[in-house]
Amino acid sequence: MSELDLIERYAAAAPIARWLGFSAAVSEGDTLFTLAFDERHIGNKLIRALHGGAIAAFLEFSAQATLYARLGGERDITTINSDTDYLRSAKAQDMKARVNILRLGRRLAFIEAKGWQKDETAPVAVARFRFRLGDTEK
Amino acid sequence: MTTPPPSADINPAIGAMLKSARDWLLTEHALFQTLDLKPLLIGRNKATFSVFLPDDFCDARGKVHGALLTLIMDSIFGLAAFTALDELKPVATINLRSDYLGDIDPGGRVICAAECTELRGDIAHVAGQLTDAATNRPIATGAGAFIIGARSPGRESRL
Repeated sequence: MSELDLIERYAAAAPIARWLGFSAAVSEGDTLFTLAFDERHIGNKLIRALHGGAIAAFLEFSAQATLYARLGGERDITTINSDTDYLRSAKAQDMKARVNILRLGRRLAFIEAKGWQKDETAPVAVARFRFRLGDTEK
Repeated sequence: MTTPPPSADINPAIGAMLKSARDWLLTEHALFQTLDLKPLLIGRNKATFSVFLPDDFCDARGKVHGALLTLIMDSIFGLAAFTALDELKPVATINLRSDYLGDIDPGGRVICAAECTELRGDIAHVAGQLTDAATNRPIATGAGAFIIGARSPGRESRL
């Protein structure tokens, strides 16, 4: 099963992926994630901006799906914490994301994700995530 | 001209705006309607809400996805920053850090308590936590910075 297949399997099992309008595609050997804009993602109707929480959720889910696929879909992934920087206002339109694995260890993974709308060189948000891998009860 | 000392009470204009914002959130906004936000306390520098956790935001294990907890904190923390103001100005998140402390099932409610701990010029610092409304168990903590006087998209950058 390819990494893209695993990402799609991961997303199909999670209701939040449907809420996000989440999808993934491989482009130039890199996985590109998409949030398909919907009115439900608007945080403030007056300024027509994506909700910051929807942006953070999209970046976190993209990071988790990447990790799930890289681990062959066989290990539990628990988010320890996240930190999102909002670099620009997000308009009422689709968002794209790329994920970079900074360190994949035996118990921990450190991941960053970048989200943008029209221009990848002008990101709307960047986020860092730390994940615990495997059973956290052990 | 001297600057009046900060009031311990919420500014009346901000209070009126918060009331209309609350009415709007509860009646017109699809996202917040889904979350069935119920204000428990809105005061100077403080906002506490009870929030419903719908099935739509679950992960593959059937637990509430942590990202929903971040979304809730972003909303309520922003409101807490708003209560610290003396005049109506937009508020936008600069950054938000979330720590996930425990799983929670959908169908219940969380209490999100946020406090604007400092307003330094046009930067508000907000911290808070989410607890399971049924058990008082800690679910997440968060801390964020917010900029006051942000502009809307399509205009100049807020930064």
